[in-house]
Amino acid sequence: MAEDENAHPSPAEQVSRLYEEAEAQAAKASEELVGGAGFTALLGRVAENVAALTKLSGDTMDIVVRNLRIAGKRDVVGLARQLARTEDKLERVLQEVEELRDELTRAKPEADSDGRNARARPARRAAATRSKDSS
Amino acid sequence: MSALRTLSRLPQATVEFANVILTTPDAAIGQTPREVVWTHRKTTLYRYRSSAREHAVPVLLVFALINRPEIFDLRRGSSFVEFLLGEGFDVFLVDWGVPGEEDSEMGLAEFVCDELDWAVRETLRAAHEDELTLLGWCIGGTLCAMYCALHPAGAVRNAVLLTTPIDPSESLYARWVGGEEFDVDLIADSYPAVPGAGIDFANKLMKPVTNYVTTYRRLFQGILEGKDARVAYQAMAKWVADSPSFPARAYREWITWMYKENRLIDGRLRLRGDRVDLARIEQNLLVVTAGADHIAPRVGTMPLLDLVASEDVTHVDRPGGHIGLMAGSRAKHEIWPELADWMRERSGH
Repeated sequence: MAEDENAHPSPAEQVSRLYEEAEAQAAKASEELVGGAGFTALLGRVAENVAALTKLSGDTMDIVVRNLRIAGKRDVVGLARQLARTEDKLERVLQEVEELRDELTRAKPEADSDGRNARARPARRAAATRSKDSS
Repeated sequence: MSALRTLSRLPQATVEFANVILTTPDAAIGQTPREVVWTHRKTTLYRYRSSAREHAVPVLLVFALINRPEIFDLRRGSSFVEFLLGEGFDVFLVDWGVPGEEDSEMGLAEFVCDELDWAVRETLRAAHEDELTLLGWCIGGTLCAMYCALHPAGAVRNAVLLTTPIDPSESLYARWVGGEEFDVDLIADSYPAVPGAGIDFANKLMKPVTNYVTTYRRLFQGILEGKDARVAYQAMAKWVADSPSFPARAYREWITWMYKENRLIDGRLRLRGDRVDLARIEQNLLVVTAGADHIAPRVGTMPLLDLVASEDVTHVDRPGGHIGLMAGSRAKHEIWPELADWMRERSGH
């Protein structure tokens, strides 16, 4: 039964298969097209045009807003940049503080153990004195 | 399916197809619970808590500067983060955020020498460990390779680089932007933050019919055949559409240094005066390439294997595309377990 279906696909299946083949060929052709030197040059030129247009329109809008005495994008970006620089400095200060705290934490047990040794020494000395006395 | 039955399903499938497309922005991605460990500017370091942590060495995930890192945690049941947590890893993720015009001065040096370096530092502090595994994908992999080269005796014990451009001279992208036809300075001067939509458009233009026709045709066909394609399609489509801007300086440096001058592979790339010499990489290294990767072709990653000084180098090449390799339906059963096995063997005390 299944073999019959494979041998005689329905018209819908035939159309579907034909479409998929056409799509696969179109995909291959389009990939060859975008890989060509002509397309590369075109893409570069289009990107330049879009960028130039965006810059022009952005600058024009900014001039209009500034002439209206309203804070424009440039002002907001300037403020945000200032904030970012302050955050950079804060981050570096925080890292210094954390490193100092870590050093302090590492140094503390050493100091504690030194202190314990210092307290232990007189006790040992006293024990030694006692043993001398007893002898 | 008979022609008559197909015809009768057509109106319903058309409405369903339109609904899937229109509600894609509402899809839930990046749902695994996480906590913020550290923030700086737009960068955020997240930690995903593992309830069954087995391995001492934490994993720090680094994605590209284009697109969002939610690809690591796409959707429930198909999330690499979820998988790693289940395997007992302590997982951290660097999110570069959405750069604005105020970040136009952020260059590659700022990302590698500051943001990534500090994220590594904060990961180690949070995990109370001295070493970590750095896992980078796409440009994130290149940033990780640069970091490892600059800190060969640093905190990175294991480096995993997924579909990473190292020598992109043979790629289609290099043909497009590597020549004189493409004026990167004009673009970077015009856009303090190069729009992500433009970069996304260029990426899709590499396979125009596949991206603009086949994807939608397959979705429609799936719906017509009664398959539940909604969840998988929407999660990926939402992620693809979410393209943050590329800071102008980083964009200029990336295009010029990688595609126009190909400096990284030649050891001519310098960050803050320090030469990024890939031959200095000493970490345990796993390099993963995808056979059908048209964005970072395998041929552009392979030279790294001959360069590095690492004694423990593994190369895994699998069929799949640049993103599909890690986020496709088969990834969970094929590449993820391989990555976990490799990291597990190198993540003990």
